[in-house]
Amino acid sequence: MDYTKEIREIATKLFAEGKIDVFVGYRMTGFDENQVPVIISGLEDVPMLIFNDRSVFNLANYLKQEHTRKKRVGLIVKGCDSRSLNLLLTENQVNRERLFVIGIACEGICDQEGNKMQHCKECVFPDAVVYDQMVGTPHDARQYQVNADVRELASKSLVERREYFETVFESCIRCNACRHSCPLCYCAKCVIDQETSTLYHGSNTTSSAFHALMTWSLHLAGRCVDCRNCERACPMGLPLHLLHKQNENTIYGNFQGHLAGVVDGDRGAFYKYNMNDPDDFIM
Amino acid sequence: MEEIVKDQLVSVEKPEIVAPPGWEPVIVGILCNWCSYAGSDLTGTSRIQYPHNIRIIRVPCTSRVDPWFLIKALQTTADGVLVSGCHPGDCHYITGNYYARRRFLVTKKLLNFIGFHENRIQFSWVSAAEGPKFAKVVAKVTDDIKKLGPLHLYKKENFEK
Repeated sequence: MDYTKEIREIATKLFAEGKIDVFVGYRMTGFDENQVPVIISGLEDVPMLIFNDRSVFNLANYLKQEHTRKKRVGLIVKGCDSRSLNLLLTENQVNRERLFVIGIACEGICDQEGNKMQHCKECVFPDAVVYDQMVGTPHDARQYQVNADVRELASKSLVERREYFETVFESCIRCNACRHSCPLCYCAKCVIDQETSTLYHGSNTTSSAFHALMTWSLHLAGRCVDCRNCERACPMGLPLHLLHKQNENTIYGNFQGHLAGVVDGDRGAFYKYNMNDPDDFIM
Repeated sequence: MEEIVKDQLVSVEKPEIVAPPGWEPVIVGILCNWCSYAGSDLTGTSRIQYPHNIRIIRVPCTSRVDPWFLIKALQTTADGVLVSGCHPGDCHYITGNYYARRRFLVTKKLLNFIGFHENRIQFSWVSAAEGPKFAKVVAKVTDDIKKLGPLHLYKKENFEK
């Protein structure tokens, strides 16, 4: 998957026609094989742009920053990114009229060693759902499958799961990088900060990590699109996707196969209901 | 013999934690103003006895209950949480409890996934006329949580410096 040529062509055209002020894309870091997001504002920077299977980041996150606010933006979205963009549009966080969206028919991104990521093999919507121009060949419809890590962990006993997650919460340093990298976390004030407001409590205890990560993942339940920006941002390499995928499995299995951001105008699983939702767990 | 068994109550999630003698669980009850809170009031005025382990918090509707409340309760003092509201279709705000029902299921499954016993978090529908049912529900929840032992996971005071 290498769409560098197409992306540069489209960006050149957009800047030449004066349709956009800034373009959000990827460039090489300059010292290794990896890429970083870049916001360019003119024709002279277009040769910097690149897109291949190392373009991992979700660029919808950059729509909430000052660089792009109130400007006309060109944006590259893969399948998962487009779903988060769809949610941002539904939640009135972004104005569609000032966006030019380049949708990618994504073949899956790679990790450091060049292997295709596990969650891209399981991806249900590889093609962008919101776009002005599509790049690549669209895929056939795919079946939802339960994440392999979640399935493996769910088969273990209660005490084993507790031990595993205790090490996870213990490693967390409460830097909140997961929250900042999440395109759907845009609240000006976050409830999990109440825990850190009193500094003497020690902001990075296991207890406060439990509180923060659990609250965060439950506030994203039914909205998380599994773009894995949080996991990439995490300096401790925590398996944050386990929490999100567990929620996604519950929601997909019990609420008529709901997946976040797929349908236009769908705010998420917790913003609607069905008379026949399961209630056998309620006394 | 029975006394010794009672004294050696261990936490289900963390078997190395033994309950101190005479341990009583703390249960946070989050009740909806229009049905369950009125129901608990009826239980009291009808002079029906129910366990005193429950600490009641009144909320306008079960859909007011953010999953955050449950996490906060478990993190601070509670050994278990009970959320109770109107029966489906009886909600004062027409559809509030339908939304709440979805959140409860996801919260319960996630907490169970990370290692909490599923009985730590319980839900019930109790109407304003169901005083005896409320007493039964509280008795059952208290009984369940007594069997599970104290909750020691992620308690705030265990980590304070």
